[in-house]
Amino acid sequence: MQLTRPKTLRLSRKQSESLVAYGFLTVPMALFLFLSVGIFFYAIYISTFNWGIMGPTESVGLDNYRKAFSDPIFLKAIRNSVKYAAIVVPIQTAIGLYLALLVNSKIKGSKFFRSAFYFPSIASSAAITTLFIFLMAPDGVFNKVLQFFGIETSDLFNQGAWLSDSRTALYSIIGLNAWTTSGTMMLFYLANLQTVDAQFAEAAMVDGASRRQVFWYITMPLLKPAHLFVVATGMIGALQLYDQAILAGGADGSPDYSLMTVVLYIYNACFRKFEFGYASAIGVILFVIIFTLTLLQKSLFGSAAWKGEDR
Amino acid sequence: MSKMRKLCFYALLIFYSVLTIVPFVWSLSTSFKPSEEVYQNDLIPDAPTMKAYATVFGKIQPNFQTLFANSLFIACVVVILHLIFAALAGYAFARLRFPGRDVLFFVVLGCMMIPDQLRLVPMYQLLVKMGLINSGPSNYLAIFLIKAISAADVFLMRQYFLTLPKEMEDAAKIDGAGPFKLFSRVMLPNAAPVLATVAILTFQGTWNDLFWPSIVLQSPSHWTLPFGILQFKGQFSTDWPPIMALVVLSTIPILALYTFGQRYIINVQLASSAKG
Repeated sequence: MQLTRPKTLRLSRKQSESLVAYGFLTVPMALFLFLSVGIFFYAIYISTFNWGIMGPTESVGLDNYRKAFSDPIFLKAIRNSVKYAAIVVPIQTAIGLYLALLVNSKIKGSKFFRSAFYFPSIASSAAITTLFIFLMAPDGVFNKVLQFFGIETSDLFNQGAWLSDSRTALYSIIGLNAWTTSGTMMLFYLANLQTVDAQFAEAAMVDGASRRQVFWYITMPLLKPAHLFVVATGMIGALQLYDQAILAGGADGSPDYSLMTVVLYIYNACFRKFEFGYASAIGVILFVIIFTLTLLQKSLFGSAAWKGEDR
Repeated sequence: MSKMRKLCFYALLIFYSVLTIVPFVWSLSTSFKPSEEVYQNDLIPDAPTMKAYATVFGKIQPNFQTLFANSLFIACVVVILHLIFAALAGYAFARLRFPGRDVLFFVVLGCMMIPDQLRLVPMYQLLVKMGLINSGPSNYLAIFLIKAISAADVFLMRQYFLTLPKEMEDAAKIDGAGPFKLFSRVMLPNAAPVLATVAILTFQGTWNDLFWPSIVLQSPSHWTLPFGILQFKGQFSTDWPPIMALVVLSTIPILALYTFGQRYIINVQLASSAKG
């Protein structure tokens, strides 16, 4: 009796473990299947219809996708989003890495500097973009600072109206977001830096390597997980640009569609033209772009995922 | 480090700190300026006034108190939902053995790949069908449903539970505790740092979110702070002090939260990366 008891207990434990697991997972998995997986396929379904306020009117196959690529405003939106991502990601990655290296070195007040650098990342995009619009106004602080350094903004080609000139609006937003996201990127690099063993660098220094060599041949390769993570999240975030665009340029991405982004375009198709089928098709296109880029990055940087390791 | 190098170092650090902090100081200063003084260069207003704050607390519709209450209510409910679901699912994936575990976890990872913008149209259609796009109180349910669960939080929680030592459970198992007791009495109390992280990051994300509230919330009495800022920015296009007062007031709670909780966030990032 005494000997068989543990055996039955172990069996029932295994079963009860499964039971508890399914119990724990029922609601979360139901939500995932309903709110993400189901919604994903519903999006693809909707995208094959002419779908207005009253619901679907006719099945149109891939027409919504064809329509998108023949609309000059959509092509402009794609160009803007890609241009934005292509410029902002390298800048915020470089600044984030640089700030992390600065803060990580043994200096007085590194805690203060870390908090200060992260500061713009914690406020809401609505608050910070509104503040930015105020600072960048023709009479605003930014132009006053330029004047202080002897740059007369009325001589500049846009008279200092940075956000209401189609030639500088997107670049201004790039500046804004490079400033706000660098702090977040710094944190990711810092987390990785603190796991990097200082012994490698020290050993290399003893062997006569220069600071520059240590950085390029030792620190940079050891930061590979952070590079992958920072570039991937940065790219995905950049392609989803919406808040700053609608705050600075309104729903039209003014001036002259210079702030029209893919997501803003979806918003317009959905809530101003009520073309839900078409809007859904644009959503699917955006997903395909992001998905492809993610896969590409994974294969480029190797599979050493920042977060993927199993035990 | 040579003296010269050190000097350059601090110059850089201070320069960038000025760049990150001064704009906020400027918004604070502007919120106390009378309208005529807005474009003057002084950091300290000549004739400081609380007029802007009187406006946002009283005159605007919805006023600051309403926006604040909505933001707080929505953020708190979403935090609670995320904590419950992430803890349950994270624990099951990390610590329990059951048929189909890998397949289900793969589904969770897949959910992380679906951007919110793809969900916009079908989600909106669904919410309309459910009658949740309205100006009554059930409108809040629409936001809760959209944000009910986060795959990233489940993932984070699982990673943390994986790092807890096996011995922790063994002692309780010998005492005859079942899986549920193990979860509530042993694992959950030891997961305090990751729970705090999920709570802080979720609160910050929900508090700051503009995308979903601007699409889902119908009645002005439901607006959140970021949505309110977007709306009032259009209305007061030239009257900056009240807008800056809103900017200041909406940033303070998140600043307080961050100051109070940043310790935990850093710790968990370290924990999840140190395992590799």
